[in-house]
Amino acid sequence: MIWRALGYRAAQAGVVAFLVGVLTFLMMQALPGDMAFRIAAGRYGYDMVTADAAAAVRAELGLDRPAWAAFMVWLGDLGRLDLGVSVISGRPVWDEIRHQMGASLHLAGAALLLSALIGPPLGILAGLRAGGWLDRGLLVLSSGLRAVPQFLMGLILIVLVSIQLSWLPAAGHGRAEHIILPALTLALGLAAVSARMARDAMAGVAARPFYAFGRWKGLSEGQMLRRHGLRNIGVAMVTFLSLQFVMLVEGVVVVESIFGWPGIGHALVHAIFGRDVPMVQGTALLLGLGFVALNALTDLLTRLIDPREIRA
Amino acid sequence: MTPLLSATDIVVQAAGQMLVHPATLVLHPGRPLTILGETGSGKSLLAQALIGTLPQGLTARGRVTIGDRVLDAADPASFRPLWGRTLGVLPQEPWLSLDPLMPARDQVAEGHALVRGLSRVQARTAAVRDLDGLGLGRAGGLRPDQLSGGMAQRAAFAAARAGGARIIIADEPTKGLDAHRRDEICALLLKGAADGGGLLTITHDLALARALGGDLMVVRQGRVVEQGPTAQVLAAPDSDYTRALIAADPASWPRQAPRPAQGAPVLRAEVLSAARGGRVLFRDLDLSVHLGEVLGITGPSGCGKSTLGDTLLGLAWAEAGRVQRAQGIAPVRFQKLYQDPPSAFPRAVTLGRALDDLVALHRLDGARIAPLLDRMRLSPGLLTRRPDAVSGGELQRLALLRVLLLDPVFLFADEPTSRLDLITQAQVTRLMIDIAHQAGMALLIVSHDAHLIARSCDRVIALDGPLAQAA
Repeated sequence: MIWRALGYRAAQAGVVAFLVGVLTFLMMQALPGDMAFRIAAGRYGYDMVTADAAAAVRAELGLDRPAWAAFMVWLGDLGRLDLGVSVISGRPVWDEIRHQMGASLHLAGAALLLSALIGPPLGILAGLRAGGWLDRGLLVLSSGLRAVPQFLMGLILIVLVSIQLSWLPAAGHGRAEHIILPALTLALGLAAVSARMARDAMAGVAARPFYAFGRWKGLSEGQMLRRHGLRNIGVAMVTFLSLQFVMLVEGVVVVESIFGWPGIGHALVHAIFGRDVPMVQGTALLLGLGFVALNALTDLLTRLIDPREIRA
Repeated sequence: MTPLLSATDIVVQAAGQMLVHPATLVLHPGRPLTILGETGSGKSLLAQALIGTLPQGLTARGRVTIGDRVLDAADPASFRPLWGRTLGVLPQEPWLSLDPLMPARDQVAEGHALVRGLSRVQARTAAVRDLDGLGLGRAGGLRPDQLSGGMAQRAAFAAARAGGARIIIADEPTKGLDAHRRDEICALLLKGAADGGGLLTITHDLALARALGGDLMVVRQGRVVEQGPTAQVLAAPDSDYTRALIAADPASWPRQAPRPAQGAPVLRAEVLSAARGGRVLFRDLDLSVHLGEVLGITGPSGCGKSTLGDTLLGLAWAEAGRVQRAQGIAPVRFQKLYQDPPSAFPRAVTLGRALDDLVALHRLDGARIAPLLDRMRLSPGLLTRRPDAVSGGELQRLALLRVLLLDPVFLFADEPTSRLDLITQAQVTRLMIDIAHQAGMALLIVSHDAHLIARSCDRVIALDGPLAQAA
């Protein structure tokens, strides 16, 4: 039942929220170094940190409280949907995250969309003629693209498109053309894999008896693909694309750094350096809940595509 | 009467090898034509050459006239425009041949809409009418996984004809089906031919050929052995091969006097019950199996006959009741012979190696293999091959040999011959029974073929679905 599946996801969200809170808190506590000094360095810069500044931070944030008390405060705030205030910038964590997460989602979404326009269509065409020239060419191309690490791909694109051709800016954020290169960097790596996935799924479906029967019924290749092919590879593709999206959000750190994109990956690294516990907890929490929501959406979509009950 | 389809001198070749020798056939409206032959006889290739769907690497020659069109069998692409419009193909596995995600009605309607060019509403109405006519009026909205095998077959039949095809080509439509389902399909096919349509059936099933009537072609090793009106060919066959084929049909096996159970019981089941998916298969079954006796279980597909065998052997759990083996017999002497011989052997290992491993594992006497090979009429040279390089009949006999090395006291043969041809089936069944009698082994045969069970077993248990009683 669909409601049961959603209820399961809701319960999972609760568990994820609690675990993420506990784990990030424990990990932040376990990091070496004096927290007050790190936070002071984050606020005023490394050169300005003195014992007095650290003491002031300690007193202000109540860092000499026992750890469990601090955690209870965070949990209590969470109960009121309050993620707290960044100890470095002093702005509400929610505002900071919304800004950065928005930028990351923007980039990840653009990358996924771009990859979905490149990868699956090529893969489907290759799968329909498994063993043909397109299939073999695509295998070489996608293996090659897959073998290029993201940072290298980013640099290659910057050198080619920005420096040699001067078509697009090398880095930055704010205008529409800024997103093209970072999104393309991510999309090529994603499309390399999703093309193979689509190819295998399509070749598998095209080899099944119902595909042959459809042709015998008199349907053309195009009619077969539209009416029987796409839906039957749908579950595999939706599941895989949502998985790619998760990997993408996790993996944007590198690309955001290369292209100077003010995203969540970037922000998370800085928050960890500065021991900005509320920021780290808030970011991890939202990422965790985001993944649960994405999984729930994937469940819904796959069930719409394939309503068959899974039998034990 | 102008024929619907006539084919002249059809030849199928692969790499210079002749797989189908020149064959000529004529299909008249309203008169079924059946091509009868064993696996590998080339009967399916002949039909595929007429549809233009030969597998890669095979080429055909010859002239095919369909209606007023003359086509060259060497050019398979020229057949495609006829698919669905003139030629309809009824697939072998109806369940797998329907799109698993689309309701049956839509799969019929798309033939009306996309092939015949009706509007969506008209196509839907036509599909509903088709399904109604086949007794599927209520099942139109169901997906294939919600249909029974018989319903799926009828839906596939409607879908195959929706585009306006008047000629139906059915390739092995009754493979692995019990007598009841076979009669259903036969009625379905005849319905298509009754209103002046064409019907070409390819089968290994003598009973189906007999029931369809019309004309018959018997094919062996790529050659047409005999052809003529079905009733005449089956009543007075000209060729030795056709005679052998008819004699191998379980329905014409000689009846044997059942031998009363003499040996000691090896297995006793009490108040045995089993269920699958919430459905009771059998309940409170009491039975015992004695040494040297041949016990048969038969019934329609899904009635639980294989489950009963597995339960007796301890491979499946009973809901209730218990199974007791005779004391003091090694567990390994209770054995099973599987339905599908190729999947019962390791694929990458030669057959000899597989047998040697068994001998080593159970510290058996390897010298017994040679006389058993002889007994099974198998050439020792087969042992150097892998399972895929041996015929199904040979492989099933090897599987039997492998089991016999363990000196079984109880052997459960689960549809042991359903993947074999008629003549091979008769040989393998005869062999199993002789060995059971000679070795004093208890043999349990499960088969959907009631004739086979009735003519070969000393005692029969007929399961008929929800509840069953010991005979």
